[in-house]
Amino acid sequence: MNNAIEVKDLRKEFKSYSSRSGLRGAFRDLFTRNYKVVPAVNDISFSVRQGEMVGYIGENGAGKSTTIKMLTGILTPTTGSIVVNGMNPHKEREKFVRTIGVVFGQRSQLWWDIAVQESFRLLKKVYKVSDAHYNEHMDHVIKTLDIEPLLDKPVRKLSLGQRMRCELAAALIHNPPLLFLDEPTIGLDVLVKLKIREFLKEINEKYNTTILLTTHDLTDIEALCERVIMLDEGKIIYNGALRDLKDKWGDGKELQFQFLEKVDLDALKNLTIGMPVKWELDEKEHIYSALLEDIDELISQVIAKVVEAFKIKDIKINETSTEEIIRNIYEKGTV
Amino acid sequence: MFYASMFFQYVSQYVKTRFQYRANLFVEFFSDLLSQAVNFIFILIVFGHTSLLHGWNRDEIIFIYGFFLVPFALFSAFFNIWDFNDRYIIKGELDRILTRPIHSLFQIVLERMELESLLGALTGLVVMFYSGSRLGIELKWFDPILFIVFVVGGALVYGGVFVMLACVSFWADARTDIMPMMYNISNYGRYPVDIYNKVIRFVLTWLLPFAFVGVYPAAYFLGKKEWFSYAFLTPIMGVLFFVVSIFVWNQGVKKYRGAGN
Repeated sequence: MNNAIEVKDLRKEFKSYSSRSGLRGAFRDLFTRNYKVVPAVNDISFSVRQGEMVGYIGENGAGKSTTIKMLTGILTPTTGSIVVNGMNPHKEREKFVRTIGVVFGQRSQLWWDIAVQESFRLLKKVYKVSDAHYNEHMDHVIKTLDIEPLLDKPVRKLSLGQRMRCELAAALIHNPPLLFLDEPTIGLDVLVKLKIREFLKEINEKYNTTILLTTHDLTDIEALCERVIMLDEGKIIYNGALRDLKDKWGDGKELQFQFLEKVDLDALKNLTIGMPVKWELDEKEHIYSALLEDIDELISQVIAKVVEAFKIKDIKINETSTEEIIRNIYEKGTV
Repeated sequence: MFYASMFFQYVSQYVKTRFQYRANLFVEFFSDLLSQAVNFIFILIVFGHTSLLHGWNRDEIIFIYGFFLVPFALFSAFFNIWDFNDRYIIKGELDRILTRPIHSLFQIVLERMELESLLGALTGLVVMFYSGSRLGIELKWFDPILFIVFVVGGALVYGGVFVMLACVSFWADARTDIMPMMYNISNYGRYPVDIYNKVIRFVLTWLLPFAFVGVYPAAYFLGKKEWFSYAFLTPIMGVLFFVVSIFVWNQGVKKYRGAGN
């Protein structure tokens, strides 16, 4: 099957001028300026298969949005080639955008003043969707996203969660084979998030829709994406299955203890002297946690020693969370 | 065809939105009418003091002004792009525009139209009939057609110039204050150009051809033969400037840097 997205050596440079400090600097800036060419996206290559759900993650300013904007034809790349749905996005923009759906979490696609259904109707005309297609497809979307009661309200009167669901429905009016979601769950409560995730999974299964998702909420990615592409300073630092990332990096475990009485951290440290264990104390919650390698023997030894010495209220064994893994990776800068 | 049907979709949407706020609609309509009436009286008073200007008499000057109001109304109804930089570039609304399968400039025209500005054309027509009847202008059968052609041409000249100005935002980062200045300059087209010196006349004819929005086409109806060739250039200048501006726009969109989020 053809790839939905094919990106090769993609690069986007922004020219920005750095202003000098102070009034004297401002005067000098009038005549000569220091231009700096900053690559926001630095020679990246990747491809996405039709029907895949891929998470595109990175810190703020890593180049995620810039990439998405190039993939959707909003920005023109400096160099490199992009083929999305068999087309060059910015060259054949008007034809191309009929084959994609876009949701920007922080920017509304709907008309502010008019009722949601009017927005839908207008978009239906914009995308030349036939009545039959629209009814069949959108009835389902509207039901699944549970936005029926919102349809006659103007967009400005909706809450963020309500609006986001409508945005998602609006992006799907022409049933595009490829969907770009730029932080679709930002600022939403858990229930809405769950609903949106369920919905995305469903359309992915039903229509084999390809989804490229950027988010800071890694639980979104864990719930939806098989594969992640991780970006740092404009470069891809990881491209592969989320599970592999966990296997490789998430090798440590964390034991959390809560005690009935106050315990000295040094006493705990003394207890496990000679073992590869790192102790930490969360002062506020009075949780003592031991970080150690994932060796069954070692874990039971540590637990045995602690239980023997102190009275325990609660124990937990945690795997390293994805969030921590990602944080570790960013701190080191490579995978 | 598609574009025409989209145009009517947007217009009906616009009307619907306006009708939602009934009170607002009436107040606005009333205040628009009132301001047009004030405009009309203002014109009569101001031009009442000028008797003869470089061979143009009072009624002729009023007629030019009346003519000018018509293409200007058309322009203000559809090319409401004076805040393009703020709204579309800085706030990044252009992102949304660019993800839709309609030409970006056309979408902005549709989104930003203000049909109530068309009322200004009414004032213009009243002014023209008033001064026209005093001058005893007789209309031939093809004059109404020429009138429409000249009005559209004039509106396109205006549109072209202001679209090109809006395009500056694609290249320059900072906000520019050219727009208000340009609105000022555009007013000069309302007066007979031969009262200005040569340089200004050249500028108003070929560089910022605002004279084609007022004097030149109006001179045709006033029967001023020496200006006829200019008058008939109006639609050509309009189309030319507008086509060039679309070209510049398309180039500019490629340079669009997007707003960070």
